Amino acid sequence: MSFSTNELRQLALPLLACLALLGAGSALITWTEARNAAADRALTAARAERSQANERLMRIAEEEREVKEKLEIYQRLKRAGILGEERRLEWADAMARIRTERELPDLRYRVERQLPLKTVPGKPANVEFYASTMRVVLALLHEGDLLHFLSDLRASGNAYYAVRSCSLARTGQPIASSVLSPRLRAECEIDLITVLDLAAKT
Amino acid sequence: MKRLIYFSADDHTVYTWSRGSLAVEAKFPGDDLGVTAFREYLAQHRGALFYAVADLAGEDFHEEMIPYLRGADRELVVQRRLAQRYRDTRLAAALSLGQVRGERRNERLLLTSFTNTQRLTPWLDALAELEAKLAGVFSVPLLAPALAGRLGAGRGRSFVVTANSAGLRQCYVDEGRLRFARLERTVDMAPEAFAAFVRSETGRLAQYLSTLRVLPREGPPIQVIVVAPPGQRGAFERTLVSDARLSFLTIDQDEAVRRVGVKSTVPGQGAEQLYLHLAVRRPPRDQFARREDRRSYVLWQLRRAVLAAGALGLAGCALYAGASWLDIAGTRAEADRVQLETQRAREEYQRITSAFPVTQTTTDNLRATVVEFTKIARQTAPPERALVYLSRVLEDFPLIELDALQWRVEGKGTRGARARTSAPPAGPAAAAEAAPTTSEIFEISGRVNTARRSDYRAITAEVQRFADALRADPAYQIERTQLPFDVTSEGTLSGDISTATETGEAPRFTIVLTRRIL
Repeated sequence: MSFSTNELRQLALPLLACLALLGAGSALITWTEARNAAADRALTAARAERSQANERLMRIAEEEREVKEKLEIYQRLKRAGILGEERRLEWADAMARIRTERELPDLRYRVERQLPLKTVPGKPANVEFYASTMRVVLALLHEGDLLHFLSDLRASGNAYYAVRSCSLARTGQPIASSVLSPRLRAECEIDLITVLDLAAKT
Repeated sequence: MKRLIYFSADDHTVYTWSRGSLAVEAKFPGDDLGVTAFREYLAQHRGALFYAVADLAGEDFHEEMIPYLRGADRELVVQRRLAQRYRDTRLAAALSLGQVRGERRNERLLLTSFTNTQRLTPWLDALAELEAKLAGVFSVPLLAPALAGRLGAGRGRSFVVTANSAGLRQCYVDEGRLRFARLERTVDMAPEAFAAFVRSETGRLAQYLSTLRVLPREGPPIQVIVVAPPGQRGAFERTLVSDARLSFLTIDQDEAVRRVGVKSTVPGQGAEQLYLHLAVRRPPRDQFARREDRRSYVLWQLRRAVLAAGALGLAGCALYAGASWLDIAGTRAEADRVQLETQRAREEYQRITSAFPVTQTTTDNLRATVVEFTKIARQTAPPERALVYLSRVLEDFPLIELDALQWRVEGKGTRGARARTSAPPAGPAAAAEAAPTTSEIFEISGRVNTARRSDYRAITAEVQRFADALRADPAYQIERTQLPFDVTSEGTLSGDISTATETGEAPRFTIVLTRRIL
């Protein structure tokens, strides 16, 4: 059965309406599919959060023990002045005090600028570790002075002192000399490590 | 609303049909004046949907046999047979009576048309010209099989007899197919007389069909379903007594109306209303109108089908979307439930952690600070241990005098105090490479103060002994030993043994110790 132009014109409107209805149906399905996918994603995310929360809850006893243990160390670090901003003036005071108390013939030092330390991935963003390298040159009467110096330095606090290198050599002064002159020369490189916890309550 | 035009010999009536209810809308005389009035009527109802039902005498029925064909070939043969049979084929139809199996497969046809089509064609032309949608032209006999079925006729042979406005209509139906029909004009008469008239006409019909051998002379009685005019069933049943040839079943017209499904009828009109209703509700596949006469109707149906397809598609999509929405609602409810459980777990966690000691910082920061600091501390070592260890070993070697000591912490891939950069690791490969191996390196330089400086063997043995003593602590390993005299095959051995006195410096040596920290 063939149609005339007039008949085809009469069919055009129903065809357009049909296409519009089918288009509306397709749009409806597309929309519901998108909503379905979004709901699935939300459910997956909610399940993951629940799993995380449950695991955390199950680990809470262990966490309590861990917090207690770590808190003790944390408080020790705080008391030692390792936590917080650098205290360069206190370091300088400590060096002067050690030289005086240990009667070191000569003590020269130089503290380099502070640099951040490379840290573990996943660490909270508001905890940073820094190190400032100090180079110390000491004139010693005997090797025990170096040990005393290092011991006093650690006791002074205000940083964690990580000794990177130390060299000890004779100065060449004769042993029989009547004047107390340094017989050893020591050079050390020490990292002064501090931790900055931005969430810490003062 | 649908409209039916009922053609009878006297006049033509337009009925409206709506939800099973029939009503008379117009009545036109069968002459030219009637056609003119009908045209005026159609002008007021342009585009109306019409069903034409003819209830006229002079309807021809003729059986033919054609080869068993399908499609265009069959249509061609059928049209040829109709053209051979009827002068005017505009209102002619061929009803299939089924296949005949013999040596050749044939098909039996019942050719039917009106002997005077001119009575109908002006009306059909008017319908076409005034853009009415003609669903089809049916004759009452074409609708008889449907009526017989509704009135409970079996699959065998039966007569359907109705008292129409046009007269007494008798239709012979065999196996659900029309075989023959006739219309006998009637006049007003008493119920008993009318029943007797029905009885005699039915007998005549049976006799006529037997003569034509359409009905077998022997066999079981033929069921005759008679629709009695309203209130005349008793008189009919008394008159229409079954015998060996005919078995009468009388049904009151009101009962027949109910069985057929007509909601309301026009009082005073005959049983044609049953056929009119069936023409709308159960139109037979075969009818008289040509394709050209039904063109508006087909186009209208096509438009409706297209719209229906769209609506059906939308409904299907909506159904699917509804089902999906149920899924979404279920998923959301599940997500809400999971979130509630998560919230409860968090609240429980908060409740328990609130009893924890005061940490002065967050738990995560506390953990990160301590863990990281511990790692850094493990990668460092004080030089005192090595110095004290060396001092103890030296007590057993008075001949050895130290010149210089160098101590340092060295790491391969460590990220401790010496790995100072804020850049993160490049990736898993870099992390694997950065397996921490930190060691302290202790380089001892000294000399052997002996009177016999040319005694190579003794000096070498002393240094070897000193090195062995340094190995006493298994934590320390000798990384390198540089003896005063190179006794290896790869080195150069030299000496000065020409002078009698021992001069020059004491022989020097170097020992490098290592201890792994991490």
